[in-house]
Amino acid sequence: MAQAPVASELAAVQSVLAEPAGPTLPLNQLAPEAALRRLELAIVRRLEGFLQGDHLGLLPGPGSDLNDARTYVPGQDDVRRMDWAVTARTTIPHVRDTVADRELEVWALLDVTPSMNWGTGGVTKRDLGIAAIATIGFLSQKMGDRFGGLVMRPSGLRRIPARSGRTALYALLRSMLTEPIVPDETAGPMDLPQGIDQMARMQRRRGLRVVVSDFLTPGDVELDPTVETEWERPLRRLAVRNQVICVETLDRHEVDFPDVGDILIRDPETSFERYVNTSDDEARLRMNAASAAQRERIRVAIRRAGCAHIQLRTDRDWVQDIARFVLAYRRVAGLLHQPPRGVGK
Amino acid sequence: MIPLAFGLPAFMQPNRLWLVAVPVLLLGAYLLLLRRKSKQGMRYTNTSILDIIVPAQSQWLRHITVGLALLSLVCLAFAWARPLGTDEVPRERATVVIILDCSYSMDATDLEPSRFAVAKDEANQFIDALPAGYNVSVIEMYGTSLMILPPSTDHAAAKRAITAATTQPSTDVAGAIELAVKALQMAPAGDDGDPVPGMVVMLSDASGTTANSSPQQAASELAAMGVPLYPIVFGTDNGYVDLPEADGSIKRWQVAPDHAFFDRLAEITGGQAYSADDAAEARQAYEKIGSEIGYVEEQKEITAWMAGVAALFAAVAAAGAVMLGARWR
Repeated sequence: MAQAPVASELAAVQSVLAEPAGPTLPLNQLAPEAALRRLELAIVRRLEGFLQGDHLGLLPGPGSDLNDARTYVPGQDDVRRMDWAVTARTTIPHVRDTVADRELEVWALLDVTPSMNWGTGGVTKRDLGIAAIATIGFLSQKMGDRFGGLVMRPSGLRRIPARSGRTALYALLRSMLTEPIVPDETAGPMDLPQGIDQMARMQRRRGLRVVVSDFLTPGDVELDPTVETEWERPLRRLAVRNQVICVETLDRHEVDFPDVGDILIRDPETSFERYVNTSDDEARLRMNAASAAQRERIRVAIRRAGCAHIQLRTDRDWVQDIARFVLAYRRVAGLLHQPPRGVGK
Repeated sequence: MIPLAFGLPAFMQPNRLWLVAVPVLLLGAYLLLLRRKSKQGMRYTNTSILDIIVPAQSQWLRHITVGLALLSLVCLAFAWARPLGTDEVPRERATVVIILDCSYSMDATDLEPSRFAVAKDEANQFIDALPAGYNVSVIEMYGTSLMILPPSTDHAAAKRAITAATTQPSTDVAGAIELAVKALQMAPAGDDGDPVPGMVVMLSDASGTTANSSPQQAASELAAMGVPLYPIVFGTDNGYVDLPEADGSIKRWQVAPDHAFFDRLAEITGGQAYSADDAAEARQAYEKIGSEIGYVEEQKEITAWMAGVAALFAAVAAAGAVMLGARWR
């Protein structure tokens, strides 16, 4: 995996001082398309759709997976589908139904609020999120699978329609990359809980949902993992009908508080402004402990909502992290995405 | 000394005050930089946690250090312009005219043992406290006021005259003040030929005043000479004296002191009236008068004092700079 060139790395580092002017990753470095062809994302929830696809559907239809046997209706059923074993035992002609193989519809919600325009490891968290969407997108490029995007700006959601094919995916990624950077301290009605809620309402058809965010709520100082986060309930609602993967983008210095001396620290989203002596070892240790507790709370909340969780860091290779996740996901996905009681798989 | 809070002192070389512009410009630059600085700084995403982990660091040390350094510069600029302060120098020569009210009303016993005794006693102590070079003149005030002692430095004679005074009928305030004017004119001039500063202390209760001429007019004569009148008003509001009438009967007279009248007189001459309800208050009044007439205000260069203040500010600013510069680890 080729790393980003020095110039764009500098652009990402400058995001520490001011909001970046543009994307810190070029389109062709988002994900190694060819290398990802051999990987497959496990889809465990049944899908709805109209088209023939590669994934297990919810309703009967032409497909490869066998469903129930039912009595033969002359003139309507194909005799080639006769289930001879059942017919012989019951002496009544039966046919075997199959479950339709459907296409997968993936929707990715990208959080582009100002706190995502930040990163010290060569890319900003926003661009890391786009790279994650690219990687997941190439993983789900089976026949007929569609990929759509929602860009969450403070002012509202922007919908990029779901289309199938790698060209369409590239168009979506380019559209996300060239999305104008949200200026700092932009106030708006949209936040992550609302974004997730709207995504659940807008896309009724079952499928895979990817939520890309840093899952930080401005002003939330709760560290106790047993307390629900603000976005947990919408996320759980989204997971009722969909298979949800949460991609948490993270920077090294959000976990390890930087030692940069006495400095003014501003928040990109709120009006927070404070001089902080970052050389204070004790304070830094406490800050790191609190950040770790905060991350643990986010992890527990995502798990509680029945979603898969990928943690990506700006200073690490996201393709490797996602590939490792996909390999482990094969085994746990079925258990992880158990639908709530009363909802079909 | 005049501290800075009471306004700027006079300067011997005020043209050097342009140096004050330097700290003023620096202050402007500091405020400008503060304003600009708030635009810069490090962006950090997780400030909600930072907020509870690292409590707000107050900026007062920064501002105080800068402020004191600039203040010390201002004081240095002032010191360079050689400021003038006022200093209290003990007066060497002065004339004190004591007008002792000898009317019957002073016999009232509302003060222990009587108004007259208290007035005489305190007047004697007042004379004792005066510097030896002061001229003292004693005037007895009654129906026809009398100058018992012309201005002289013989304080013992003045005390004798006061001790020997007895009460007489009636009171003539205007006449007494006119006599005081005469006494002040009789006072010998100082060594340099200038007239000696004077002041009039009137020990009275003002009751039963007979106004042959206006006391206010006499007081304005005093004011024209630049001499303040300090009335000390004896007695309480329910003081009385019993006096025999012509037919031999005894008549009781209410002799409440007339404070408003004496306040007015003092105001005309630029002095101040004191009321003495008892001996202790009378003594306090004397002490105040003594301090008022005992010193003269003189202008004096206070460059060293100003430089000292500047050094103090600079020292505290330096301590602040050390605190800021040091790494507390």
